[in-house]
Amino acid sequence: MSATNTAAVVRRWRSSISIPGKPNEWESKRLLSSVGIAVPRGVFVEAGEAPTAAGDLSVSGTTGHCVVKVCSGEILHKTEQEGVLLDVAAGDLSAAVATLQKRFPSTGILVEEMVSYRGGEIIIGALYDPTFGPAVMVGAGGILTELYKDVTFRLAPCTVKEAHLMLEELTVYPTLKGYRGLPGNADALAEIVSKIAELALQLILEGCQLDINPIVWSRDRWVALDVKAIIAEDHSVRFS
Amino acid sequence: MNTVKVGFKKIDKLLNPETVAVVGASNRKEKVGSIIFEGLRRSRARLYPVNPHEDAISGHKSYAQISDLPVTVDVAIITVRAEKAAEIAEQCARCGIENIIIVAGGFAEAGDQGRALEERLRAIPDQWGSRILGPNSLGVFVPENNFDTIFVEHGDRALADGGGIAFISQSGSVGVEALGLASNTGFPMRAFVGLGNKIDLNELDFLEFFGAEDKTDCIALYIENVEQGRRFLESAREVSLGKPVVALKAGRTPSGVSAVSSHTGKLAGSDRVVSGAFRQYGIQRAFDDEELCDAAKTLSYLPPARGNRVAVVTGAGGFGVMCADYIESDNPRARLRMAELSDRTVARIREKAPAFASCHNPVDLTAGVTNEMYVHTMEVMLEDRSVDILICITFFAPHAVTDKLIDRMADLITGSDKPVLIFTEYGPFTDTYLKEFYKKGMIGFPSLTRTVRAVRFLVERGRIVSALREGP
Repeated sequence: MSATNTAAVVRRWRSSISIPGKPNEWESKRLLSSVGIAVPRGVFVEAGEAPTAAGDLSVSGTTGHCVVKVCSGEILHKTEQEGVLLDVAAGDLSAAVATLQKRFPSTGILVEEMVSYRGGEIIIGALYDPTFGPAVMVGAGGILTELYKDVTFRLAPCTVKEAHLMLEELTVYPTLKGYRGLPGNADALAEIVSKIAELALQLILEGCQLDINPIVWSRDRWVALDVKAIIAEDHSVRFS
Repeated sequence: MNTVKVGFKKIDKLLNPETVAVVGASNRKEKVGSIIFEGLRRSRARLYPVNPHEDAISGHKSYAQISDLPVTVDVAIITVRAEKAAEIAEQCARCGIENIIIVAGGFAEAGDQGRALEERLRAIPDQWGSRILGPNSLGVFVPENNFDTIFVEHGDRALADGGGIAFISQSGSVGVEALGLASNTGFPMRAFVGLGNKIDLNELDFLEFFGAEDKTDCIALYIENVEQGRRFLESAREVSLGKPVVALKAGRTPSGVSAVSSHTGKLAGSDRVVSGAFRQYGIQRAFDDEELCDAAKTLSYLPPARGNRVAVVTGAGGFGVMCADYIESDNPRARLRMAELSDRTVARIREKAPAFASCHNPVDLTAGVTNEMYVHTMEVMLEDRSVDILICITFFAPHAVTDKLIDRMADLITGSDKPVLIFTEYGPFTDTYLKEFYKKGMIGFPSLTRTVRAVRFLVERGRIVSALREGP
C-alpha cells in the first residue's frame, strides 16, 4: 500500500469515528482491516438497540462460541469494569448482550467470534516520540506486557527487513520460530510491523497512537484481538 | 551543498585558527581567562588578549575591546561572565569574527535573566553569520596543533600524540573526566569539542564535519538531548557507512505520550525509542563514560569483526574459563560464540605447546608458556577460518614470558585483518603495559568484562557495516 493510499485510508477513517477523537474498538479494528490486517469476525450492536433487533447475533460463519464486550472509546479498561463476557454460546448471545447493555446503557456492544490460538501473544504499537517522531513498537504482548518489557522500537518508516531484526531482538522470538511446537510466523509478523509503521506515519499526523494487544497466530494468519486507537487531546504533535 | 562547504570551512577555522582573541585574558593567574590564555600559548595561533584593565599579558599587547584588534581574528574566546558575554559576542559578530566560543555558564540553565541573555546570543548567527560554540562550553582541544581552550585538567599531555577519535560532548565535565581517565592508558584523539548549551553549533554540525574529513576514523558523542532528531540520525547513517559512530545518550526525556492508558505509551519512555532508533541508523550506543571511551578506542584501532566467533588463548586456565563464560552470555548488543578450532589448528598448536596444554578453544598454554608459544599459537589461530576475533590473555611474568613478547605481538596484531584484543593485569604496572600496547597499535584492557564488551562493539560494527552496504 502506498503512502498516499494509507493517508487517504486514515483520513477517511478519522472522519468516520462516531464520537470525534474517541474511536471505539469496532472502529479501530475497521482501520486495521482496511490496511489488510485480520481482525475477528463480529457484529456491532448500537447503544439502545434491542439485542434481537440486531438481527442474527451469531457471527456469520462461526458455529463456535463468542466474546461479548462493551465497545466505547471512553472505556479503556473493559475487563476491570466487568465489560467482557467470554465463551458465550450462540443460544445465549441475546441474553449476554442484554446483560452488558444493562451495565452500560449508553454504549454499543461488540460481539465477536472467540479466536482460538496456542502461540504467544504479541503487542504492536504506533507512537510519537518527541525527539525522533513517529515510531513503531513490537514485543511480548498480553496482560503482562508492561511487566516483561520485552519490547523493541524503531522509527517509522520501518522496512520488513528492519522489522525482522526487531523480532530477533525479542526474548520471545523463538516462539515465532516453532519453539516447543508453538505456531507462529515471523515473516508475516514482520510485514505487519512494517505496515503499522507505515500507518504510524499517517496516524501521528492525526495525533493518534495505536495499541494492538494481543495479536495472535490463528488459522494461518495473525489476528488482532484487541485494538486501541488513542487520539491525543493536545493534538499539536509535530515532526522534529 | 555550498552552504555545507561554507559551514565546514568555518568549523575548520574553529579547530585550526591562525589568530585567536581571548576576551578576559588576565595577569591574575586564578582567572579562567588567564588559564585559557596560558594554555593557548602552546598553540601555533597568534594571540590577542582583550582586557581593558591590562596593558600586556605574558608579553602580548592587551586590547581594551574587540573593535580595537588590528585583525579580524579566526576565533574569539569569551571567558568573562554571562552578563557581559552576550554584549561582547555581539561586538565580535559586528566585527566580522566568524567563530565565537563562550565559556561562561549562567545562561538558560540559570533562570529568566540567563534565558534573556541566551536569547540575545541566539540572534547572532542569523543576524551576522558568526557561529557560536556554547555558551557553557569548554571549547575545543585539537592535539595536532595544540589548540586547547580547556581550562581544567584533562590529560592533555598524555593525549598530545593525537589520533582518529573526534569526541563531542554536551557536558564538559563528563568529557574531560572520561578523557583524563582514558588518557592514563592512551587515547587516540583527533579533537575534543565541548558543546555546552549548544545555542548554535550542535552535535549535528560536528558529526557532519568529522564524518566528512579523513583525519577522523571514529566519532564518539556524549549527548543529553538530540537536536533535529531525524536529520541527526540520517547523517549518522551516512557517516556510519565509512566510520563508527558511538554515542552515550544520557537523560530520559518525558515520553511525550499524553495518553498513558495505552501499553505502548507506558512502555515507550523515550529511552527505548532512542535505543531502537540508534540501532536502526547505525549508531552504537554506550551506557557509561568508560564504555564510551573503550568502544571508541577499540573501534578506532581495530577492524570490524567479520563474524562473531571468538578464539581465546591464555596462559592462565581460570581466566580462559571465565572469558568463555562472558563470551557465551546473552547480550543485546551482539551474540558471541566460542570459535571451534579446526583439527589442523589444534594439531599445529599442539606441536609447540607444553605437554599439559589444552589445545581447544579456550587454548590454555599453562604456566609452561613461553613468548615463542604465544606467538606461534596466535598465528595459527588467526589463520583458522573459523576464527573471527582473538582474545589474548597474557601476564608478563618472567622468566618464560617477557616484555619482548610485546613487540612480537604488535607485529602480528597490527598486520592482522582480524581484530585481536589483549587482557592483562599486573598490579601497579597494569597501566604501563596498557599504554605500551597502545603506543604499538594494540588494544588492551585490565578486565575481562571490558575486553569482551569491546569485542561486542566490533561484532556490532561488522554487522552495521554489512547491513548498511546491503541497504534497507
